[in-house]
Amino acid sequence: MAAPMSNVEEIRSRVILGEFGVKNVHTTDFPGNYPGFDDTWDMKRFQKNFRIDVVHLDENSMEFDMVGIDAAIANAFRRILLAEVPTMAIEKVFIYNNTSIVQDEVLAHRLGLIPIKADPRLFEFKNTEEEASEIDTIKLQLKIKCSRNPRASKDSSDPQELYLNHMVYSKDIEWVPIGNQADVFADSCIRPVHDDILIAQLRPGQELDIIMHCVKGIGKKVAKVVNSRLDTCSREVLRHSDLKNCVKLGRVRDHFIFTVESTGILPPDVLVTEAIQVLMAKCQSFLSEMNSVDME
Amino acid sequence: SMAEEGEKKPVLEMVQADGADDGCVTFVMHNEDHTLGNSLRYMIMKNPDVEFCGYTITHPSESKINFRIQTRGGIPAVEPLQNGLNELHEVCQHVLNTFQARVNEFKEAQEKPME
Amino acid sequence: MEVLGGEFGDMTPQELAAPVNTVAVKGLVKQHIDSFNYFINVEIKKIMKANEKITSDADPMWYLKYLNIYVGMPDVEESFNVTRPVSPHECRLRDMTYSAPITVDIEYTRGSQRIIRNALPIGRMPIMLRSSNCVLTGKTPMEFSKLNECPLDPGGYFIVKGQEKVILIQEQLSKNRIIVDQDRKGTVGASVTSSTHEKKSRTNLIVKQGRYYLRHNTLSEDAPIAIIFKGMGVESDQEIVQMIGTEEHVMASFAPSLEECQKAQIFTQTQALRFLGNKVRRQRMWGGPKKTKMEEARELLASLILTHVPVKEFNFRAKCFYLAVMVRRVILAQGDNKVDDRDYYGNKRLELAGQLLSLLFEDLFKKFNAELKKIADQIIPKQRAAQFDVVKHMRQDQITNGMVNAISTGNWSLKRFKMDRQGVTQVLSRLSFISALGMMTRISSQFEKTRKVSGPRSLQPSQWGMLCPSDTPEGEACGLVKNLALMTHITTDMEDGPIIKLAFNLGVEDINLLCGEELSYPSVFLVFLNGNILGVIRDHRKLVCTFRLMRRAGFINEFVSISTNMTDRCVYISSDGGRLCRPYIIVKKGQPMVNNKHMDDLSQGYRTFEDFLHEGLVEYLDVNEENDCQIALYEHMISKYAKHDTNGQKQPSWVMLVTACFIPSEKRRTWRSSPSRCWECVRASFPTPTTTSHPGTRTSALWASRPWVRSLCWACVVGFVSDTVCFILWCSGERVENKQVLVNKSMPTVTQTPLEGSAQPGQPQYKDVPISYKGSTDSYIEKVMISSNAEDAFLIKILLRQTRRPEIGDKFSSRHGQKGVCGLIVPQEDMPFCDTGICPDIIMNPHGYPSRMTVGKLIELLAGKAGVLDGRFHYGTAFGGSKVKDVCEDLIRYGYNYQGKDYVTSGITGEPLEAYIYFGPVYYQKLKHMVLDKMHARARGPRAVLTRQPTEGRSRDGGLRLGEMERDCLIGYGASMLLLERLMISSDAFEVDVCGQCGLLGYSGWCHYCKSSCHVSSLRIPYACKLLFQELQSMNIIPRLKLSRYNE
Repeated sequence: MAAPMSNVEEIRSRVILGEFGVKNVHTTDFPGNYPGFDDTWDMKRFQKNFRIDVVHLDENSMEFDMVGIDAAIANAFRRILLAEVPTMAIEKVFIYNNTSIVQDEVLAHRLGLIPIKADPRLFEFKNTEEEASEIDTIKLQLKIKCSRNPRASKDSSDPQELYLNHMVYSKDIEWVPIGNQADVFADSCIRPVHDDILIAQLRPGQELDIIMHCVKGIGKKVAKVVNSRLDTCSREVLRHSDLKNCVKLGRVRDHFIFTVESTGILPPDVLVTEAIQVLMAKCQSFLSEMNSVDME
Repeated sequence: SMAEEGEKKPVLEMVQADGADDGCVTFVMHNEDHTLGNSLRYMIMKNPDVEFCGYTITHPSESKINFRIQTRGGIPAVEPLQNGLNELHEVCQHVLNTFQARVNEFKEAQEKPME
Repeated sequence: MEVLGGEFGDMTPQELAAPVNTVAVKGLVKQHIDSFNYFINVEIKKIMKANEKITSDADPMWYLKYLNIYVGMPDVEESFNVTRPVSPHECRLRDMTYSAPITVDIEYTRGSQRIIRNALPIGRMPIMLRSSNCVLTGKTPMEFSKLNECPLDPGGYFIVKGQEKVILIQEQLSKNRIIVDQDRKGTVGASVTSSTHEKKSRTNLIVKQGRYYLRHNTLSEDAPIAIIFKGMGVESDQEIVQMIGTEEHVMASFAPSLEECQKAQIFTQTQALRFLGNKVRRQRMWGGPKKTKMEEARELLASLILTHVPVKEFNFRAKCFYLAVMVRRVILAQGDNKVDDRDYYGNKRLELAGQLLSLLFEDLFKKFNAELKKIADQIIPKQRAAQFDVVKHMRQDQITNGMVNAISTGNWSLKRFKMDRQGVTQVLSRLSFISALGMMTRISSQFEKTRKVSGPRSLQPSQWGMLCPSDTPEGEACGLVKNLALMTHITTDMEDGPIIKLAFNLGVEDINLLCGEELSYPSVFLVFLNGNILGVIRDHRKLVCTFRLMRRAGFINEFVSISTNMTDRCVYISSDGGRLCRPYIIVKKGQPMVNNKHMDDLSQGYRTFEDFLHEGLVEYLDVNEENDCQIALYEHMISKYAKHDTNGQKQPSWVMLVTACFIPSEKRRTWRSSPSRCWECVRASFPTPTTTSHPGTRTSALWASRPWVRSLCWACVVGFVSDTVCFILWCSGERVENKQVLVNKSMPTVTQTPLEGSAQPGQPQYKDVPISYKGSTDSYIEKVMISSNAEDAFLIKILLRQTRRPEIGDKFSSRHGQKGVCGLIVPQEDMPFCDTGICPDIIMNPHGYPSRMTVGKLIELLAGKAGVLDGRFHYGTAFGGSKVKDVCEDLIRYGYNYQGKDYVTSGITGEPLEAYIYFGPVYYQKLKHMVLDKMHARARGPRAVLTRQPTEGRSRDGGLRLGEMERDCLIGYGASMLLLERLMISSDAFEVDVCGQCGLLGYSGWCHYCKSSCHVSSLRIPYACKLLFQELQSMNIIPRLKLSRYNE
């Protein structure tokens, strides 16, 4: 490599935002790529450089910086957050009666999207063959009927006033404990996370009578992750030719900003913890698999 | 879910070309995707004994990856894989510890001014 | 093109668009409804008047006279003589025809009695929705919903046998107008297609060796024009020449014709008529007194040649003038080569539902009357106990069925007019609201689709503002099927009596009072009314001006047009139906009459568009009158031509049709095709009426009309290079994947109820004929309807419903004709994401842009992105909307890149992508072509009975054909065993026994010809081959097979 030292350092650690494209996008600091650098994995060095700064944390969202780690691993956390953190969700919908104008499958789909406040860590994955039991299933009920409001004024045309129960919200969903669930989850009341999700609209005489089963599953959209340090990504400077040559936009390769927005079932910090543990579990399972293969 | 299924069919398979030595192995990892594949590849690439490391998702409708490792100097490919998994595990552990420490610090700091 | 970005006054585009919503949507079908109303209220009475009396040859005393005719309100017969009003929706559901009874008042004789009967039904008339006789007229939206009808539905179509049928607008060459034309050899000729209620004929004037001849169907050979003149009573050559023109070159050109007449020794009318009488083609005569040849010739001149020019008591004056004008036109056209343009829209008339139906009704009514006459002729001579009562013989079904069949099949065949048109009606396309609207404005042309002519297909300058320049189908009908622009109106016929009176009052001198010399004066202009010569005028400017003033003041109908043709020295007044016209704002002294106040009133509903018309702010101009006017596109352009009488256009986008208006930034699209493409596609055409994701909403009570959201959040990513067309992320619906909540409803197996009436007394035999559900996936039953149709047959309709997620192979499209098939569905975590963590829903290959040049889509993305950030809608029609520059400034304000290209991180590796990605919202729609309806494969399955080969087509679970070209490939490659397998073994292999001696087919080891079994061997041939041999044998050709061992 004939490139001057500073340039090499830049290639290794910066992503360059050019006028027409991004340069140095890939991680290249692998052993043997750069003479004079020792790129062999070094746990100590990693531990020394690695840093997490929590910027913001509340019930539903958090933001933190993760510095000193490669994109590959940081991205793995992001992917797990998006796809593999277990949650409880409505899985089976038994519609006993649905006279509303919302079709059964549409209604079921809508119900399936409602986040349920229940700690998935306290439940097990449901075995498909078995009957629903207290350790893997939550039973919810939605039973509502719309009627005319007897106290509504005659000339009113406002449905709010004319009808009772004409808007079905997620707060109308009730928890039906199975087995010993009533005692176990007495203090952590199981219910939808949000009360104000509109499920359907009814008119007098229409009713819904539905039983839902929630089970543990993966594949939840909970997080969004941002990777950047520079805020001016509009690259406005590059439009002005006089400035173009003076400015070089770069991003630090190993600096990641995570913004995690939770659906409210679990606090975001728990989600991140879970995500890391999922990756660890993956490693562990392969390690144990290899050990068992070796033993054979 | 993969833990349960692992009992039924192997989670990890080794595929080798005829006559190839132990240093060139394709590991078939079932029920995995870029999440593990990419991070593990990074860890193994960091190993100076590894000449080549890469993976592919065979087909969008299959949930498995082919993970290829070629080593230098006749070292069996299983070794870097094992090391990589271990290191990745350690990294995660460290990240987890740091994260939890920072979150706790942050929470304490938040509570203090409120009091 | 940027000029078009200007605005009208200081009004925003939205304000300008306001009248479009109120007026245009109604206006789009207004012409259909108007013409139908005219037909059932006015025209039908005229038709009755023209055929009011029926007499019988058998009894001169007997007659039947129609006094009046009415079309009632739609109803349905409950039981005998009990009717009840019916709603359109009931007709749709019960597969009935939405029709009303046609009743007549008649006067007739029974024996010696004279009887008047009122309200006798003679048939039923299908009723156009929202016409004057439809139950929907004048109803409020609330009442509409009660009738299960959509208040937004435009109407203008018929419901026949439960199907919604639209009678397409038919384009035709003007009737009764002189068209000077050039044939392929370059010789000039004039032709007139005359049409009146009674007759239709075509008269041609041709030039042969410098002489002029009249050509007509009834003449066995071309008649010299001078003889025709003489036959019409203009015996003096001077008079003829005076009529035609006294200019030197005109006279010189006509001289040989006169000479010819001289040579033929024809000087008087009698001589001329005798001459013509010998050339009249013999026609079959139905009884009547025999006429002499001369009488026949006179009859011919009076009624068959130039039918539309009235001849009263053989006063041929007007017809002579007309003929003279024809000759003059041809003479003038010869020198300067200025022939008329057939494709010019001033020479075109559009036939609407009303006109077409009136033709049909007239024919049926005449048939009906002829039938009555025939019955009268037959029955009256036979003396019976009961006296002949014609009312008993009036059958309703002839007219009813005639109308219903014509509309439901679209075949308009009227023998009398030699009219035989197919495809006049079409089923109303309900895929979306605008596709239905688009259908109502469709115009089909009479030209053959197969002919490769460029003229009628190409964009005509005169269709500017009248017909949409971009909405035409691709392929064979390109340019022949057109669409009306937003504000276009098509006139209906109107009374010409008042106009004639007015014209005479304004100084027009009656043609019958002139000697013919006046025509040659340069200041004298001929005045035509609907193709007939009315007279001459000295001061044509005054005539035209006063006429227009009167029209603006509302003294004459707003759709009467008047225009001057300076070259022909003519003033044309038109009041006939089928002319295209559109409204213009009147400009006086450089100021448009419509100001902002008016527009405000309009948008707030204080004034209607009709008020504008009555107040003289706006007027309708047809294509011919447009040529007389100066039209400014925008207000700022008026000053340039500040003149007293100019017209401003209303809104630019009214040039186009609804459908085209929904292509954002259409203009940028039209750029592409104009230069390079051949005759086929002179104009760009991607109207792409939207198609919703659920095509089956029909039978349901209220179909929701979707609002057009101008910007919806979908994303488009450019910068990704890949082979597949597009990728789609499925994200929000993932949770119900594969685990459809199947409700306790099951698939229908409907069995037809056995016909109880037809069952024989005794043991009834029943056979199960179940109608079973076919479909690769489950459906839900949305609705079941049990009813009966008009014939009281049992009717069950089942509405099925499917919820379909986008899947690989489904077709999607943006509103720029950028269609594509979904190539891959990617989990969200694999998708790239931008700095704000948003990942795209659709990734599109940027190679779609350069060749298709859909700049509008690029702009939609930018404007959409800025709009989302700003929280407001952007405007993007072909004529204005947000400027790219402003939109980009918005993007910068929100910290985005000026060009809309974002820094994007790969979801797979976590590393950034090397290219910036063009990222933003674009409106996408799912089209009705879905893999689920198309996928097909077969291993085994049904075979055709005759050939024993696999059936064809997906619906029959057919095989996939290895066609001729595929076969050629295999031959070329030499894969003979594969060929054998594909073409025989997998298809129709058949074991036959062949006799080696006689070469014929045997059966079970025995040759029936040789009566032996010693040479019979068994081999496999395709069944089709065996069939061929047998068929050949059946026609006395013996195919003999020569057998030999393959290893010898």
